[in-house]
Amino acid sequence: MDLNDKIEKILEKVQKAPRYTGGEMNTAVKAWDECPLHFGFCFPDTYEVGMSHLGLKILYGLINRESWSLCERFFMPWTDMTALMEEEQVPLLSMESRRPLNAFDVVGFTLQYEMSFSNILAMLKMGGIPLEGKDRGEDDPIVVAGGPCAFNPEPLADFIDAFMIGDGEDVMTELNRVILERKEKGLSRETCLKNLAKLEGVYVPSLYDVAYNPDGTVASVTPNCPEALATVKKRVVVDLNSTYYPEEFPVPYTEVIFDRIMLEIMRGCTRGCRFCQAGILYRPVRERSMEKLIDLAEKLQQSTGYEEISLSSLSSGDYSCLPELIRELMKRMKEKRVSISLPSLRIDSVLKESLEETQQVRKTSLTFAPEAGTQRMRDVINKGVTEADLLEKVRDAFEGGWSSVKLYFMSGLPTETTEDLDGIADLARKVIAEYFNVPKTQRAKGLRVTVSVSVFVPKPFTPFQWAPQDTLETIIGKQEHLKQVLNIKGVTFHWHEPYVSYMEACFARGDRRIGAVLKRAWEKGCILDGWNETFRYDLWMEAFRECGLDPAFYANRERAEDEILPWDHIDSGVTKAFLWREKLKSERAETTKDCRKGCNGCGIQRWKGVCAYANAGSV
Amino acid sequence: MRMLAVFEKGERIRHIGHLDIQRSVQRGLRRSGLPVAYSNGFNPHILITFASALSTGACGKREIMDVTMAEEVSTDEFLERMNKAMPPEMQLSEAIAVDQKHPALMAMLQAAEYDLLIRDPVQAEKLTAAIPAMMAKETIPAMRKTKTALKECDIKPLIYGLKGEGQHIYATLVLTEREACKPGMLIGALSAEAGISGEEIRTLITRTALLGRDGQGNLVPLERL
Ligand code: SF4
Repeated sequence: MDLNDKIEKILEKVQKAPRYTGGEMNTAVKAWDECPLHFGFCFPDTYEVGMSHLGLKILYGLINRESWSLCERFFMPWTDMTALMEEEQVPLLSMESRRPLNAFDVVGFTLQYEMSFSNILAMLKMGGIPLEGKDRGEDDPIVVAGGPCAFNPEPLADFIDAFMIGDGEDVMTELNRVILERKEKGLSRETCLKNLAKLEGVYVPSLYDVAYNPDGTVASVTPNCPEALATVKKRVVVDLNSTYYPEEFPVPYTEVIFDRIMLEIMRGCTRGCRFCQAGILYRPVRERSMEKLIDLAEKLQQSTGYEEISLSSLSSGDYSCLPELIRELMKRMKEKRVSISLPSLRIDSVLKESLEETQQVRKTSLTFAPEAGTQRMRDVINKGVTEADLLEKVRDAFEGGWSSVKLYFMSGLPTETTEDLDGIADLARKVIAEYFNVPKTQRAKGLRVTVSVSVFVPKPFTPFQWAPQDTLETIIGKQEHLKQVLNIKGVTFHWHEPYVSYMEACFARGDRRIGAVLKRAWEKGCILDGWNETFRYDLWMEAFRECGLDPAFYANRERAEDEILPWDHIDSGVTKAFLWREKLKSERAETTKDCRKGCNGCGIQRWKGVCAYANAGSV
Repeated sequence: MRMLAVFEKGERIRHIGHLDIQRSVQRGLRRSGLPVAYSNGFNPHILITFASALSTGACGKREIMDVTMAEEVSTDEFLERMNKAMPPEMQLSEAIAVDQKHPALMAMLQAAEYDLLIRDPVQAEKLTAAIPAMMAKETIPAMRKTKTALKECDIKPLIYGLKGEGQHIYATLVLTEREACKPGMLIGALSAEAGISGEEIRTLITRTALLGRDGQGNLVPLERL
C-alpha cells in the first residue's frame, strides 16, 4: 500500500476526519522544489485549538510570503488517530503537502501552555526526529520553539535546539536565513546553532551549562562558548504598524474554537496585574493605528468571508480610540453583515456607548474578570477594579439587554483567606441583585451568571514567581468551600481540575532537570494533558518518583530573594528588582498605578525608544 | 433572480460534513463579493439552498446550490468570481440563471447517479458478478438505518440502473425528499448476494449527477430542467 492509500484508509476510520484533511481556503501550497527553505510549523495541540491561534496565522503568512521559504502546518493528532497511524506506520504529516516532519529544514513549535509539552515529544517521535537535541544528526531538522512558555525554556532544554524569546515577527526571518545558510553551505549542526545564538532573542540551551546546589536550587548557568551571551534579551517589535500582519487567514472547513477574524489592536498591557505573566512578557504597550486596523479588517473580510471580527489584545478596553474604532468598523461592516465582538473586556474601561453599539449586531454573553472576591485581595494582585465599577458595568449590560454574564476568578492567590472566597459568592449575589433591579420590562429574560474559578499558578517573570502554590489538599478544601457558598439560584459554578494546575505549576517554574520527568511521563503514555479525558495524574506522579524529583519542590516551595531562578538568564526587559518590589508591595496590599499614568520603572525603560510611556529617569 | 450553480466536492475534502460544506459555500459567496440576498432578522444569513445533502465521506461531481441574488449578475461573472473565492476542492463548473418562480431543486429531485469504486479488486469482481442474480430477484432486502434502529426494506423499486465495470459499480438510485436508497444499502445487499457480507468493503463513493424528470418522464440532470 502506498502512503496515500494508507492515509485514505485511516481517514475512513478516524473520528473527526476533517481536522486531518487540509485543503482549506487560503492555505498556501507552495512548490516544494522552488523554495529552498522548508519550515514545519507545529502546534502541539489539536487542529481546533491550533487553528484558533493568532500567532500561527501571523507566522504562517510571514514565512510563506518570502519567495525563498515555505511553511506547512502540523497539529497533534487525537489518540484514535495516533493509534491508527502507528498501526499503518504512517508518520506525522503536514496538512499541506502531506510530507513527514523530518523532511523539513526547521521544525518550529509554539509554546502556549505547559500542558502541551508532552505533545511536543509525541510529535517529534511521530515525525521521525530524535527527541533530544544531543541525538540529532546532520540530516535532522533544527528544532526551534517560541511563544510565552519559551521565557522559561529550561524544562524543554533537552528537546529544543533553539528558542526564540519575545515577538516573533523579526527574529523568525533572521532565524530562517541562518538555517538556509546551513543548508546552502553545508554547515554543521553545531556551527548553525552557534550562528543562531548570535541572533538577538535566540537562546540555544546546549551552549549553557547549569550547576545545582545540594538543595536542588540552581547554582549557576554558564555559557560554554563565546557565541552564547550571559543573558538573552527578548525581541520587541517597536512599531506594530510597519510590522507584518496577514491580510488573509486560512479558513477551516470544520468549526474551530475561534472561527473568525482576529484583529490584534495592540500588544502589551500597562495595568500591571501581579499574577499576569503575559502582562510582563508583552511589555511595553504598543498600539496599531486605526487606519491600519480598518484597512486590515476590510482586506481580511474580503479574503476570508468571515461573519465576525473580534478585537484581540490583553486589554482591548485600553485601546486609545476604542469607541471610534468600533464605530468605524461597524459602519463599514454593516453592509457586509459582519459583527464585531470584544472578547477580553476589561470592566473598568468598557464604555457604555460601545456596549450599546456591540449589541446592534449580536448579543453574546458578557465576560468580566474581577479575579478576586474582596477589595483587599484585588489590591494584593493589583487588579485595579472596584466592586462599584464592576456592578456599574454589569448594570449597564443588563439595561442594555444582556442577561448572561460570566465572571472569572482565581483561587489560591498569595495571602488568600476564607473571607476572600466568600467574597466571590457575595459578588455573584450582588450581580444577581443588579439584574433584578432593572425593571422587568427593560431587562432580557433568562438570567445566567457563570462563576469560573481557576487555580492560581505562579509564573516566572511575575511578582509571584517566588510564591508557593497552594498544596493540592488546600486547593481541594477551598473548592469544596466554594461549591457550598456558590450554591446560589441562577449561578453556575465552574472550577478547574487542581491536578492539572499542579503539574502546570511544576513545569512553569521548572528547571532543566524536570525535562527528564517530561520524557518519562510521555514514555508512560502521557499525551494531550490539557484535556481532562486524557490527562493522567497518576502517571505524572510515577514519572516524578522514578526520576527522583519532588513536584512540591517546584510547585509549593517559597523561593528566597537571592535564589538564582532557572530563567534568570532570560531578560524579559522587566528587572528582577522591579518584580521583587512589586512582591513586597503586594504583601502590604499596596497597589501600583497603571503605567500610562506615569512610568513605574519596570526596567523596559533601559531599552531606549522601546516604551512610549517610559521615563528614562526612573529606577 | 436565482443562480443554480454546479459544484464539486473533491476527494480530499470528502469527509467534510454537509453543514460545513454549507458554511464554506456561504463564506465563499461572501469572499466573492457577489450581490447575494440576505435574510432579514437578527443573524442575517445568505439565502441559499442545496439540492441535496451529500453524506460525509462521499465525493460529489455535480452538486447543486441555489443562491438568491439581490441584483442581476451574469453567469460568467458568477462563475469567475466564485471560482476565485472557493478552495480548489470546491470549484464550480456551471451556473444557470433562473427566475424567482423556478421550483425548488429539492422538490424536483428524483434520483442520483453514483460511481462506487470498490478498493479491493477481488471484492469488486465478486460484487459485479452478483449483479445479474440480485436484479433478477423479486425483492431485494436491504438494511436501512433509521435514527434509532436498523430496519429491513426492499430496495428493488429504488434501483433504476446498476452495472459493474472493472473496480467500479455505477448505480442510479432513487433519491427524493421521501425515500432514498443510499449507496451503502446497495453495497450491503450486493455483498449479501455475493456471499461476502461479513467482509468490510472499502468503497469510494462519488455522486456524479442529481436527476429529475422532464415532461416525458425521462430522468435528466436537475440543472437541465
Ligand atoms: S518602562 Fe515604564 S511605562 Fe514602560 S512598561 Fe515599564 S513601567 Fe510601564
